[in-house]
Amino acid sequence: MALSQEELEEFNAESLELLEAMEKIFLSLDQGGDFPQSYDFLFRTLHNLKGSAALMELNRLAAHTHELENILVGFKGKDSLPKEYISLFLRGIDATRLVIAGQEVNFDFSVKIEGLRPEAPAPELPQSAVEEFVTECEETIERVAKTLAVMESGSLGKEALDELYRDVHSMKGTAFLFSFELLGATAHAMESSLENVRNETHDCTPELLDALFKSLKQMEMLVQRIKAKQPFEDQAATVQALAETLARTSANLPLRDSKPTNPEAANPGTGSQAKSDEGAGSIRVPVALLDSLMTLMGEMVLVRNQVLQYSNRTEDLEFASMSKRLNVVTSEIQGELMKTRMQPIGNVLGKFNRVVRDLSHELGKGITLSISGAETELDKSLLEAIKDPLTHIVRNSCDHGIETPEVRRKSGKPEAGSISIRAFHEGGQVVVEVGDDGKGLNKEVLLKKAVEKGLITQAQTVHLSEKEIFQLIFAPGFSTAAKVTNVSGRGVGMDVVRTNIERIGGTVDLSSRSGIGTTIKIKIPLTLAIVPALIVKVGDGTFAIPQVQLEELVRVDAQSEQQIEILHGSPVYRLRGNILPLIDLSQLLGLSKEPPARRVTNIAVLNAEGCSFGVIIDEVQDTADIVVKPINRLLKSIQAYSGATVLGDGSIALIFDVLGISKMAQIARERSKSIEASERASATGELQDFLLFSLNSKTTHALVLSYVHRLEVFKASEIENSGQHRVIRYGDLILPLISANAQLGYGDSAGGNAEVPVVVIERRGQLYGIEVNAILDTMSTDIEMTPEMIRQTGIFGNLNMKDRLIVVVDPFELIGRSLGEPVEQELTWSSANARVSDDKLGTASEPRLRNILLVEDNVFFRRSIKSLLEKDGYEVMTANNGEEALDLLGQHSARVALIVSDIEMPRLNGLQLATRVRQQPSLQHIPMMAVSSLADRRAIQRGTEAGFDAYLEKLKPGPLLSKVAELTKRNNGVAA
Amino acid sequence: MIPALKGTEQLTTFSVAGDLFGIEVLKVQEVAGAATVVPVPLAPPFVHGLVNLRGQIATALGLRELFNKDARKDSNQMSVVCRIEGNLVSLVADTIGDVVEVERQRFEPPPDTVPPEVRRYIKGIYKMNGALLSVIDLDILSQELSIAANK
Repeated sequence: MALSQEELEEFNAESLELLEAMEKIFLSLDQGGDFPQSYDFLFRTLHNLKGSAALMELNRLAAHTHELENILVGFKGKDSLPKEYISLFLRGIDATRLVIAGQEVNFDFSVKIEGLRPEAPAPELPQSAVEEFVTECEETIERVAKTLAVMESGSLGKEALDELYRDVHSMKGTAFLFSFELLGATAHAMESSLENVRNETHDCTPELLDALFKSLKQMEMLVQRIKAKQPFEDQAATVQALAETLARTSANLPLRDSKPTNPEAANPGTGSQAKSDEGAGSIRVPVALLDSLMTLMGEMVLVRNQVLQYSNRTEDLEFASMSKRLNVVTSEIQGELMKTRMQPIGNVLGKFNRVVRDLSHELGKGITLSISGAETELDKSLLEAIKDPLTHIVRNSCDHGIETPEVRRKSGKPEAGSISIRAFHEGGQVVVEVGDDGKGLNKEVLLKKAVEKGLITQAQTVHLSEKEIFQLIFAPGFSTAAKVTNVSGRGVGMDVVRTNIERIGGTVDLSSRSGIGTTIKIKIPLTLAIVPALIVKVGDGTFAIPQVQLEELVRVDAQSEQQIEILHGSPVYRLRGNILPLIDLSQLLGLSKEPPARRVTNIAVLNAEGCSFGVIIDEVQDTADIVVKPINRLLKSIQAYSGATVLGDGSIALIFDVLGISKMAQIARERSKSIEASERASATGELQDFLLFSLNSKTTHALVLSYVHRLEVFKASEIENSGQHRVIRYGDLILPLISANAQLGYGDSAGGNAEVPVVVIERRGQLYGIEVNAILDTMSTDIEMTPEMIRQTGIFGNLNMKDRLIVVVDPFELIGRSLGEPVEQELTWSSANARVSDDKLGTASEPRLRNILLVEDNVFFRRSIKSLLEKDGYEVMTANNGEEALDLLGQHSARVALIVSDIEMPRLNGLQLATRVRQQPSLQHIPMMAVSSLADRRAIQRGTEAGFDAYLEKLKPGPLLSKVAELTKRNNGVAA
Repeated sequence: MIPALKGTEQLTTFSVAGDLFGIEVLKVQEVAGAATVVPVPLAPPFVHGLVNLRGQIATALGLRELFNKDARKDSNQMSVVCRIEGNLVSLVADTIGDVVEVERQRFEPPPDTVPPEVRRYIKGIYKMNGALLSVIDLDILSQELSIAANK
């Protein structure tokens, strides 16, 4: 209610008249006048005064007169008013005059003589009024915080300033009205300090803003205590200190111009400007009422659906048109009703002004926050649900994302970092993007951390895509903070963020560029109550899959190019080159033991926790907007369902919980894994990991996974030619590319592809990229490789799997070949090579022996150990058996730093070789290492007796290389 | 000692595998006939499935299965619908009897011979003329059910 100066003056005059009249009566009572006769007039007068003061939002006046009225009421029906109270009222009337004059009054309503105060208890405030007060305060505090943040960035118009002032002012008023003195005092101090700024006579200073923020925080705390019904009297000193700070800083404000300051003249009243900005056309409605309306709406949607289905079956045209109309109206009501629950996302985002401001001070970083799309609306319950996750993300950005000013300056960025929050609608969903211009995520650090935490194995690191690496930060137990700060890294990490977002049917996505920044994108449905879903059949049952988590539908029949394949007993499907794990829902749900024979398989590709998987369903029926009904508590322990719904025909469908299903399948998978593992443990064979990829050949090709440095996908357009070789920039390096197709004689690499998958291999300290057609999967097997029968360069041998043949490629030979190196080095010794190697590897002062004699009869092991050693920078000469080894040693004894030998060999075995070497004075200093699949204690003892310095189990790359390093060093030490 | 109870109590009665049971009449929302039950895969055996009760979804629980009596498909005909902790539950029995008024002083705790799988759901027995009526306590039922469901 707007109050003009005239109206205010009129009111004041009237009030003073009333006070005068009362004063007269109290004085007459003091002279022995009749109290019961006067009571009614006194009560009416005070009551009216209070009422009109409250109406005109003169809250202090209202509060004051209210208190007087209360005391008076205590004497209703009494014969007389005690003298002490007469003087109390007289003093009270004097004080009221001061209040009307706009002065601050601290009136003591108590009477000095004990026992005389009537037993009127302090007015008990109705709980609902307090609750409303608290809600209002929270809203106001939030608004003030927002305004202050804008003010800090330097631009606040007169109107906004007025609003700020009004907010603080009305908060003060109501606080006093409710007798929350400390809250009122804080607001009052804020109000006074703002006066000169609002009158545009003085400019605001950062110190004042700081004090204002602190006061606001104090108010927030007080309001919380009121809400929780906790005492807050202990805060008196803090409030006092804050008020002093405010007064001091506001007294030191710089003058804006020569305009004389005259705050007294500006607004002497009790807050005539105070005005609630509650729109005239809005009312408050309990959320519970809206919730029950929503439930009824759900019922109505169901009836509508049933009517529509019926109308489709009937010939009655009139009915059909009526039901169409019903359909339209129902949809409209539904839409409008949804809107009642909608709130602008700005209500949550606005808080981040404070969060970022406080953090940026705390962390000593300058961070600016920009928010766009604050008006984007979202269901209130969802808004609540995203508040904490978003706060976490914003805090993370401040703490980990944005660098310190020094670092930023060095990297040529503006010192102040910026965080931007964007909210917008996209495809029936709300998208919230939180982006920062900080340092971005470091892939290597993430990988290292994930391996340390045991989230992934070292072997897995090589074939994770960039996206998958980023997803690691959402894994439980992952936190990149090097130390735990109070800002973030308190154990609850991004996994909680993701869980919370997914719980409300949302998704989280992350993109990051090193040095440029990180953006986290959250997608959430507009509302939870009614969701679009796909209705499917599994077995005899009907189920609903929420559309949000549905990526696509794939139909596979006998004619399809891609068929469902079985990988280690689990079905998979190659979806555009990626392996999509499949879950047969009828099996998972226990509807059938065996996968049913299907001529046509429908796969619904779903997404949970950033990973895609397919579920096999029997039939796709329809899409529909379904009303989600909670499922009985008894069924909560089944993870597969998130609820149930009634369909248009009145039948019931269970709603799948996509996350739950993926978890159930995970458990199943892990179980089968552990069974496999125990079966393997009983078998003697060793497991070897392979990376599978495809070439211009029907046969799948593979590489021993431990050779793989990384997997990359390059854009074809980025590949350049350097002479005859194809190369690509790879970080700071130039990566030579070798076409596996060309080297193996499968013709040219498939041209025209926009993206080229590349396996990066390290050989002698240099990285090479091997181009393949597509990277398929990794595989772990104990099947022994059969050496290639027909000699073919670049190929180790074949894996004869149950269902297919896999060709194992020798990447080092491919690389060597493409570089024009001699193909067979097994029995030849290239001195040129050795020299190059020495130059490269040896230090200038002490050329080290890096030559190793490898004695091994099995082609695969000979080649793989050789490759392994070469990869680590050694020169390797090989021998097929002990005799050959002795021959070679005769010629090159001085150069050999180490002999690595198998035990089981034809002609002269490892043990015999060792005995001979130890007998010859020219050879006995050379360290010897046995590498054998025979590695029980007895075998090791025999080996040691024969003269081996070390005895290793076959093909354990890690221990092999470290032992080799140790032994060669020893030999070099002896030689020096 | 159980204090002497006064007055009467009204119970909705029904039979399961030949035994007579009762639930306080005020706790019963309605009695329903056979309805289409949508099975819930992976649910415990006593959960028959979900029933559409005029737009509300109720969970049908087979008392025969719950009480460990042999479940004959054709025997479950009628059900007693009540609300347990805000959820509609349809307790599937064989037949529904009358609403009876019983005197509280004829109430007794269940004798030891009652098998434990039934005993855990009932709070006591009413001695009727010619029959014994076991009273199901919905609060106990609710607790026991959640234990049974999470097994």
